[in-house]
Amino acid sequence: MSPFLQFVIRRIFSTFLSLVIITMVLYAGMMLTPPEARARLYLPPGKGGERASENFVNVLIKKYHLDQPYLVQYSYWARSLVTGSWGYSPTLRADVLPELIRRTPATLELAFYSLLLLIPLGLASGLLAGWHPGRFFDGSFRFAAFFGTSMPPFIFSMILISFFYLKLNWFPPGRMDVMTGLDMSRTGFVNFTGFLTLDSLLNRRFDIYLTALRHLAMPVITLSMYHWATLGRITRATIINQRGKEYIIAARARGVSERKLVWRHALRAIFAPTLTTMVFSAANIVTSIFVVEIIFGLTGVSDVIVIAMQSTPDAPATLGFAVYSVIMVLSLMFILDVIQAALDPRVREEVMKT
Amino acid sequence: MRRVTRFFSHWQNWLGTALVLTFAVVALAAPVLSQPNKTTQGAFKKVGRSTDLTPHPPSKDAILGTLPGQLDVYHALIWGAREAMVFGVSVALGAFIFGSFFGAVSGYAGGMVNDIMMRITDAFLTFPVLAGVVFLQQLVAITIESMGGIYWFNVDYRGQFIDFQFTPPAFAVFLMKVDPILISLILFSWMPIARIVNTMVITLKNTEFIQATRALGANPFWIIRRHLLPNAVGPAIVLAARDVGSSVILQATITFIGLGGASPWGILLSLGRNWVIGPGGDLLATWWVFLPATLAIVLFGLGWNLVGDGLTEALEPSAATYERSTWLRRKKKK
Repeated sequence: MSPFLQFVIRRIFSTFLSLVIITMVLYAGMMLTPPEARARLYLPPGKGGERASENFVNVLIKKYHLDQPYLVQYSYWARSLVTGSWGYSPTLRADVLPELIRRTPATLELAFYSLLLLIPLGLASGLLAGWHPGRFFDGSFRFAAFFGTSMPPFIFSMILISFFYLKLNWFPPGRMDVMTGLDMSRTGFVNFTGFLTLDSLLNRRFDIYLTALRHLAMPVITLSMYHWATLGRITRATIINQRGKEYIIAARARGVSERKLVWRHALRAIFAPTLTTMVFSAANIVTSIFVVEIIFGLTGVSDVIVIAMQSTPDAPATLGFAVYSVIMVLSLMFILDVIQAALDPRVREEVMKT
Repeated sequence: MRRVTRFFSHWQNWLGTALVLTFAVVALAAPVLSQPNKTTQGAFKKVGRSTDLTPHPPSKDAILGTLPGQLDVYHALIWGAREAMVFGVSVALGAFIFGSFFGAVSGYAGGMVNDIMMRITDAFLTFPVLAGVVFLQQLVAITIESMGGIYWFNVDYRGQFIDFQFTPPAFAVFLMKVDPILISLILFSWMPIARIVNTMVITLKNTEFIQATRALGANPFWIIRRHLLPNAVGPAIVLAARDVGSSVILQATITFIGLGGASPWGILLSLGRNWVIGPGGDLLATWWVFLPATLAIVLFGLGWNLVGDGLTEALEPSAATYERSTWLRRKKKK
């Protein structure tokens, strides 16, 4: 088997193990509540919340073994997770899993465009700044990155909205404006995937594609700003360390041009260490995606908790959201890891050794 | 001593220390700087009719103007600093104590136990804080409701509110006292500290002085507490210092997006948000609802970050940044 494939299989296994551990921790949290409250995780529609009779709750407790030891209960809950019955949410008035999946395209769209913007920008600017430290570009980069990391995203987004929306009216908040939405339903816009930017291209409606991009502009800028700055700073620190290494000196002695030195040799060497730090902050990235979504009113996955936090307690929705967001973090980590291993053989070897 | 001189040889560290000390002084002197009156609720003081929903510019009564509902911005800023300081330091301290203990015990135990405990640490690292914050609040809410109480998640951005029609049971009283945001931030920020202490302990464990202590028959917990932790916590302190700033920013963020928590600075921004980003809002015309709280949050985070960066450098001379060496080289050239 090729080492790359072996690496991927090992990563899938460890991702799954992490998922098991974190769901065990989550269910241990649920164990702090009495069994009657845990029965709400399994309440079907129509009998949710206060209206469920005591008899019915007792039936549920028996059926899902909610008065048994922790591991028994966990296995029953894990089975219901795997089979896709994540419970009925009284605040959403629907089953949890379909609601989460329905809102996922908006979140993925935001994440995709932000990562597309921030990873190349962060690597390139950090590389250029660190290649000649102390020059003018390095100084301005460090100032901008410092600004980016110390500006909380929610404050930055307020500044963006007040300038680009209220003053200039370039970039509106929200996922889609009402007029375009009406136009879409009138002209028979087909929702193939739920991704607005992809669907508009499939429908050959470039005007809608542009509108969708305008709606995405502010969230993407806010999200990229912060993580671009962190990534750029790490890249810069790594390249300053790498600059004096023998392989660079040797390449220079061989007469490799300076441009090729930066974009071939140095770039490949810094991929692994910089992306590793991104893997470790994957949970932070996902959290800030949720925050930005809520602020700009993109009804993404985080919409579920916004609704759940408005009125009565809603255990299935929040527990489902927690599991779903962990899955999102783990897949982001997995993707970054695989990119890293595809580009850098050292990473693959490291995993093989352990 | 050389570490201290090195720490104060950078202007960034001076700035960071000055910012942190300023916030600490403001936090301590809050009762002197802005006196509460009988309308005061938490960090908020009314200086006019609460039905007046227009924010008024700075005047003699309110030095930094008022929010909709005539809440004094200056008062909220000063008392918010107090609450932010207490909140940030308790999150950092909680994470520091739990994280270093967890990391030290697993590192000392080694082998299988260490593997399992570090697996748990890694699993916690994959958990987005926002989901944790919401989950913990829902848990508290469910528990309160099953005890017969009533729970509101977010009353006017003021955080949780719990009410009982009868004398609440002891556990419910306890739940009413603790802040779920505080607990969840501690629960989701101890992992980096645990990891770093763990690595340090594993390297220290096989050094001669620890072996000698063990040969003398010392109790493992005594070894951890007396010998391992004091030698391993250096890098952990740096992380904890940064946690103070970042947890306060996170608390303000959570308050601002309306998912619970009662950070006064976050409430300041969320109460005034319609005058900044609502229809017809203007950031510059009503600057006092936006700028003071923003500056407070940004400078608070900045100060603690700078102190954290400075401490890293002071503790690890090998990691001394490039800037300083070039600076020295340039000096020599001259």
